[in-house]
Amino acid sequence: MLLLTLLLVISMLLSLSFGGMTFSLSDLLSGLSPQQSLILWEIRLPRTLMAAIVGAGLAISGVALQALFRNPLAEPGLIGVSSSAAFGAVFVIVLGGVIWQDVSVWQMSLSAFLAAALSTALLYSIATRNGHTDVALMLLTGVAFNAIAGALTQLLITFSDDTQLRSVLFWMMGSFANLSWASVTMVLSMVLVSLIGLWRLVKPMNAFVLGENVCLQMGYEPKWFKWQVMGFSALMVGAAVSVVGVIGFVGLVVPHIMRLWVGSDHRLVLPLSALAGAILLVVSDLFARQILYPAELPIGLLMALLGGPFFLMLLLNKRRWI
Amino acid sequence: MNHDLSKEVNHSFDIEVNALSFSVQENRILNQVTAQFSAGQIHCILGQNGAGKSTLLKCLSKELNPSEGSVLWANYPLKTLSYAQLALQRAVLSQSTELSFSFTVEQLVRLGVEVRGHCEQTAEIIHSVLQVCDMQQLQNRDYLTLSGGEQKRAQLARVLAQIWPIESQESHAFIGKWLLLDEWTAGLDIKHQQQLGRFFKEWAGQGLGIIMVLHDISFAAQLADQCLILQSGKVYSQGHVLACLTQTSLREALEINARVEIDVINQRPFIYPVLESF
Repeated sequence: MLLLTLLLVISMLLSLSFGGMTFSLSDLLSGLSPQQSLILWEIRLPRTLMAAIVGAGLAISGVALQALFRNPLAEPGLIGVSSSAAFGAVFVIVLGGVIWQDVSVWQMSLSAFLAAALSTALLYSIATRNGHTDVALMLLTGVAFNAIAGALTQLLITFSDDTQLRSVLFWMMGSFANLSWASVTMVLSMVLVSLIGLWRLVKPMNAFVLGENVCLQMGYEPKWFKWQVMGFSALMVGAAVSVVGVIGFVGLVVPHIMRLWVGSDHRLVLPLSALAGAILLVVSDLFARQILYPAELPIGLLMALLGGPFFLMLLLNKRRWI
Repeated sequence: MNHDLSKEVNHSFDIEVNALSFSVQENRILNQVTAQFSAGQIHCILGQNGAGKSTLLKCLSKELNPSEGSVLWANYPLKTLSYAQLALQRAVLSQSTELSFSFTVEQLVRLGVEVRGHCEQTAEIIHSVLQVCDMQQLQNRDYLTLSGGEQKRAQLARVLAQIWPIESQESHAFIGKWLLLDEWTAGLDIKHQQQLGRFFKEWAGQGLGIIMVLHDISFAAQLADQCLILQSGKVYSQGHVLACLTQTSLREALEINARVEIDVINQRPFIYPVLESF
C-alpha cells in the first residue's frame, strides 16, 4: 500500500513535469514563472489529477462488478456498461445541446450514470439466474450492449454538426485533453462517494463472491448489497466516461494483477486497485502525450492496445472461469 | 455421549415449523410441513430426490420465504429476524458452492470468523476449526486447487468458524447455536465422515442443534437423534431414529430395499441396503 502510494506520487510528479514545456523538480519547488504556473495549474495539474481519479474509479468499478458477477472477467468496457454510459453522455451533448444550449459536465455525467446503471441492472437480470452468472451469456450480452449502444451513439452523431462530431469522435476514444477544474471536481466527488460507499461493502463483497446464498447465510442482505454495488459502479463509470470517454480494460487488468499479488480479500484488493489504477492511467497518459509529441495518442486506444492482449491471455490461461 | 444433559437444557432454542408450504409456479415443493427441531440434537432429513429436503433447509435458513406457514426460530418468527442476527445463531453449509476467485483456505475460514464482527480470538478459532476439519496441512493452499472433498472440508471449516464457541472447554459451549448442513458427506471420504460425525455428536452434547440432509441412511442411523422423512413435499414421519428408520418406512417412503436390525449396544438401527429384495 505504501509502495503504491509512493509510486503514485512519483508518477504524478513526473506527469506534472513533462509536456510541451518541461519543468524540473527544482522548478516546481522553487517557484515558477507566471507562464509556467499557468500551464501547471490550468493544464497539467487538472489533467494529472483527472488521470489519477479516473484510473482509480475505473479500477474500483471493475472490482465491484467482478464481485457482483462473481467473475474476474466482468469489466465495464467488456460488458457494455461504458459504452452505454457513452451513449448517455452523447445523448445529452447532441439532443440536450438543442434544449439547454450549453451542457454542463454534471448533466452529462448524470445521463451517463443513468445509462450505465440501467445497462448494469439489465445485464445482471439477463446473465444471472438464481445467483449463478452464466459467463458466456454475460460476455455475449456485453457484445450486444456494445453493439446497440455503439449504433445508437453513431445515430446521434449523424444528427450532430461538424464541431460536435469531432469532439464526440475524439472523446469516444478516450482523451484527457482540455479538462476544466469543474469536471475534475465533479469526477473527484463522484469517485470519492463511490469509493466510500464500496469500502463499507468489503465484507459482504467477500461473502458474495462465495455465492449469493452464502452472502445471506453470513448475515448480509444480498439484495441491498447488489443495488448498492450496481449504483456505485455506475456512478463512477458514468462520471469517468462523461468526461474522458471510454477507456477500457483498466477495470480488468488492474484488479487481476492486484489479486495475483495479495489474493482476493476485497479489503486489500479495493484500495490497492484504486492506487494501481491511478498509477496506470497517469503513466499511460504521460506516455500517450509524449510518444508522438506534439501529436497525442488517445489514451483509450493505448489502453485497448495494452488490455486486449491481456484479456486474450486471461481467456487462454484460465479457462476454468468460463 | 451426554445427550441427556442437553435435553434438560430448556427448549427455548428449538425451531418449530408450522404448516409450511413452498411453491414455485404451480409446483408445490413443500406441502403443509409441520416439524419440530430440538436444540442440542442431531436431526437428519431424509427423502428421495425432489422430496423437498433442500427446500426445507433453505426455508429454515431464510434463503427462501415460505408461500404459506411459518417458522418459529427460538421462539421468534423467522420472518422478523434479520440476516445479521441469524448469522450469529446459525451457520449453513450449502450443497454446492462455486468460487472463481482464489482464496487460500486460511483466508476463506477468516471470512467465517469476520461474520462475528471484531473478535480477539480470531487466530484461535481459525486454528481450531482447521484442526477439526483436518485442514491444517492445507491452510495455505489456494482453494481452487483443492480436490472436491478438500473443498468441502474447507467450506465446512468456514461455516464452523461462524458459530465456533470462544471458550470451547465449557460443556454448554454451543448453546443456542444451530448448524444446517446440506449433504455434507457428498465427496468426503469415510474417514472424514466418521471424524466429523464424532465431532457433531460431541457438539450436540454441548448444546449445538444440527439439521442435516443426508442420503446415506446407514450413516444417518449411526448419527441421528431424530429423523424427518419427507415424501413428495409432505412429512412421512418424524421422530426418534429408532422409531423412524424401520423396514416399512424405508420401503414406503424411500423405496429402498434394506435390512434393518437393532444394534442393542448403542440402541440404534443398523441398516444394510441390499440390491435383491427378500
